[in-house]
Amino acid sequence: MSAKAAREGKFSKELHATIEDLMTRYPQKKAALIPAMHLIQKEREGWFSRETIRDTAELFAVSDAHVQGVVGFYDMFHADPVGRHVVRLCKTLSCMLRGADALKDHICEKYDVEPGGTTDDGTFTFKRFECLGHCTTAPMMLVDEEKYEELTPSKIDAVLGGLS
Amino acid sequence: MSGSDTSGNGNGTVKITIDGQETEVPAGINIVEAGRYAGTEIPHYCYHPRLSVAGNCRICLVEVEGVPKLQIGCNTAVREGMVIYTKNDRVSRGRAGVMEFLLVNHPLDCTICDQAGECKLQDYAVDHGDGVARTDFDRLNKPKNVSWGDKVVFDSERCILCTRCVRFLDEVAGTDEVSIDHRGENAALIVTGDGQLTSPYQMNIIDICPVGALTSRDFRFKSRLWFMRFTDTVCTSCARGCNVTLGSRDDKILRMVPRDNPDVNDSWMCDHGRLHYEFANDDSRLATSTAGGKTVPHQVAAQKAAELLKKAGGENTLCVASPFMTTEELFALKGVCDALGVKDRYFLKPVGEADDMLVHPEKCPNARGAALAGFAEAPDAWPETEYGALLYVEPREGAALPDEVTARCKQTVVFSLQKGKGDVRLPLTTWIEKDGTFISAGDRIQKIAKGTTFDPTMLTEAALLYRMHHALDEGFETPVTAAQAFARWADENESTNGLRWKDLGRFGVSMETAEAAV
Amino acid sequence: MISETRIMLEFADDPAQKTLETYRKNGGYQALEKALKEMKPGEVTEEVLKSGLRGRGGAGFPCGRKWQFVPKTDKPKYLAINADESEPGTCKDRQIMELDPHQLIEGALLTCYAIGAETAYIYVRGEYPHSIGALENAIEEARAAGIVGKKILGTKFRCDVWVHSGAGAYICGEETALLTSLEGNRGYPRLRPPFPAVEGLWGCPTVINNVETIACVTHIIKRGGDWFAGLGCEGSTGTRLFCVSGHVQKPGVYEFECGKFTLRELLEDFCGGTLSGRPIKGVMPGGSSMPVLLPEELDCQFDIDSVAKTGSSLGSGAIMVFDDSVSILDAALNVAEFYSHESCGQCTPCREGSDWVRKILKKFKDGNGTQRDWDVLWSVTDNMDGTTICALAEALVWPTQSYLKKYEAEFKAAMKSEAGATA
Repeated sequence: MSAKAAREGKFSKELHATIEDLMTRYPQKKAALIPAMHLIQKEREGWFSRETIRDTAELFAVSDAHVQGVVGFYDMFHADPVGRHVVRLCKTLSCMLRGADALKDHICEKYDVEPGGTTDDGTFTFKRFECLGHCTTAPMMLVDEEKYEELTPSKIDAVLGGLS
Repeated sequence: MSGSDTSGNGNGTVKITIDGQETEVPAGINIVEAGRYAGTEIPHYCYHPRLSVAGNCRICLVEVEGVPKLQIGCNTAVREGMVIYTKNDRVSRGRAGVMEFLLVNHPLDCTICDQAGECKLQDYAVDHGDGVARTDFDRLNKPKNVSWGDKVVFDSERCILCTRCVRFLDEVAGTDEVSIDHRGENAALIVTGDGQLTSPYQMNIIDICPVGALTSRDFRFKSRLWFMRFTDTVCTSCARGCNVTLGSRDDKILRMVPRDNPDVNDSWMCDHGRLHYEFANDDSRLATSTAGGKTVPHQVAAQKAAELLKKAGGENTLCVASPFMTTEELFALKGVCDALGVKDRYFLKPVGEADDMLVHPEKCPNARGAALAGFAEAPDAWPETEYGALLYVEPREGAALPDEVTARCKQTVVFSLQKGKGDVRLPLTTWIEKDGTFISAGDRIQKIAKGTTFDPTMLTEAALLYRMHHALDEGFETPVTAAQAFARWADENESTNGLRWKDLGRFGVSMETAEAAV
Repeated sequence: MISETRIMLEFADDPAQKTLETYRKNGGYQALEKALKEMKPGEVTEEVLKSGLRGRGGAGFPCGRKWQFVPKTDKPKYLAINADESEPGTCKDRQIMELDPHQLIEGALLTCYAIGAETAYIYVRGEYPHSIGALENAIEEARAAGIVGKKILGTKFRCDVWVHSGAGAYICGEETALLTSLEGNRGYPRLRPPFPAVEGLWGCPTVINNVETIACVTHIIKRGGDWFAGLGCEGSTGTRLFCVSGHVQKPGVYEFECGKFTLRELLEDFCGGTLSGRPIKGVMPGGSSMPVLLPEELDCQFDIDSVAKTGSSLGSGAIMVFDDSVSILDAALNVAEFYSHESCGQCTPCREGSDWVRKILKKFKDGNGTQRDWDVLWSVTDNMDGTTICALAEALVWPTQSYLKKYEAEFKAAMKSEAGATA
């Protein structure tokens, strides 16, 4: 979307309608904030700029600081720009036991990216994530909303190599 | 939660045992408050009696018999028969642990921190800490010297995330403009919008910050606390009469902070009132008396004033009082008017904006006192009477006698903060330079006390008025102390007859209560 | 030889089980029909009490008792289903949500009926987009079929079920943090009292149950509390989902009756032993927040009370196995990194202590640990234990202290001598 809509401080009509609908599920509309922020983040290039924070706060009638605090509390919200895709590689115990550290090194070297960083061509942002809940099929990663389990370096390459 | 399990003996109290001492305390209060009744201070950072309970600092840990874990005193209500330990080894160990955690990443800033001397980290580290540092890691770096606007400066490294400021701005001031960003050890306070606070009550967060994270741009680096003198008084910026403690050094006011009074201002005051004291520090203020354009001793000026007014005659004199005068000064002025037989007695009342919290539309501390002394509120349109003399005590600010009224008076006696015209001109003191009382908009009689001296040769308005009165009536007995002056006034009024200075205490008394009591 | 007893996972291998049609064909929503048409709400609770069902989130609190704490009041009541499955090693609730979501929805409706609620929120961690999708599809189907919404199955009962997505914060699996988060805030745990059953969502009575717990309710009402109580063993009735991960031949999510096998049998017989064939070095029996068990401690019966006697806990049913190639220093640091990253930062001891523990363990891993660090580590973890609002601090303290105690020699061997420390 729509750098233009962003400049105007408006969300798309469809998103607006979806959020309004989410709000009806709760006695207080603020409760829809976090589910709505997933959608907002998606529409606003994957991160929360000051402007997006302000627009979100306005829509929910909460303070900017509240929205910023929510962004900072939840690992899936981004306070800085991200690449076209977000790769989350699980780092916690079960995945570590199954070799997640070596996979991290593989990604860093092969794609010349640091954990938390974005590839030079902007294809993906690489995040080491705490437990993603696929411990019995470790090691695993999420690429945007798609999951890849029982990872090996070649499986990773097949996925990351295909990103555009 | 004051359910039936906390209600005790039915007359609203419960018996508890704190550190072996049995104490009766109000039912339903928490253990930190109960400690106050038992004379035991239970340390606390995040707990503030006027804010919701957050329970995050964990320093108020106590042991409650029958409960396996240590409990936080701030969120534990007393129950009948509860046995509490606040000082045993287990509790001491727990507190020392929390103390250490609070200091692990705290910067070694005390030498340049304004909070030093009134810092709960310093106090509790001495009382409850182990006195050693066991970490060899670099302390976390967070933003320092962050501007939160023109009044508050924030230091994130010093912040212990107690959230008192967050809760105050949300629950009391209603602006909800501070929140926390990030998580865990990276958590840090942030301000909404452009990062500048907007609340007209924002400076209260400086007072309730238990550490040096929030400091006052106005006060910071001006003085160490232990070089200062502190005076309990009230704010004079409006008729609310917020109770304050004024800090001064070398006869200059350095700061005012609110003093808790549940009947007036709780623990708060507005920023405008807090910062409005510069007039008292103004070195160019009038300190001398003049008569006929010449500087004369104050006593001589008072004598000349009395002669001038007597000559003009009471019938031919206009008296205009100031609602910034103390009740006793107003009463002294009334005495002079009575001695002269003045008929036209008014006072000027500055008015302005109000809010729904503390700010009152009357921008003066003692309009009630002026009215009680028989001065009428100045009319919108002054009658075009020609007077032989004017006896005028200028309001400190916000209102003034129209020039044409002054022009209609042949001769003038003026009490003023500034140099200027007048056949006799006498200097005003400010409220921090004398003892006395004000009567607030809530009809509460509250004491003010002398904290500074502007010029040691000056006399108070009361002293000058007494001298004038004595010049008019040799039988007039001059009160010597503030207490005597107060008693003289109190006994003249039906509702306060018999009320005495000592009855006023630290928090004052309401006129209604006084009436009921005497 | 131990074998699975599949109740919740009975139809998990059938991809069509996600659809309402197949779910109904397999007996789905019969329990709801029975409850709404033949039972009073109190009778549903009675049946659950009779079943002996204990919470499957980790604490093991009796489910029916929790429901009984809901006071009689005119305020609305809520059910919040904890699907913020975040305890390392745990991925069982995901199986239910993704493979057989209707049993969760049916359980949610039954629970709402029992406690007098008209709204259930399923708080699913944001990292589970597939679970969220599967549940949303299932709820839509059920709504269209008159099973969710107004006049459910033609009765007067009305109840909405909503999926609510989290956004990546372990702490939101703590039940009061879940409520704070659901209301649109940073996920801070709340002080107790008041307890959520009295003052939960928006100040109203709220029951919070784990996904697996609610799924069990469906089967209990369908087949009776006595039937459920007859499965498993005393104190751990019914079946339970276990997630076996780490160094085993056959990791996976399995459904067993508790008390019918030992942990050793599970790992060596059922899961085929270690992947490498090397000896087991340690086992985390209930998620990463529970004390580690040594190879010689694996012969306990695997049920809540028996595991508790070892000094550890069955926790969330996540079993993580280390073979002897694992450096305990690495494992300890990994666990500390997790909990210090996930500390919400509200309470002083956890905010400051978890990061401090992480830093000391990093020193050990880097070969720079000293005797003094060892002593400080013990004392800092002691000072964190039991001094915070929620149990996240303990979730770091318990495993860490168990590593220190049970693998002391490994830590000591990695220590730098004091003399060699900084001058």
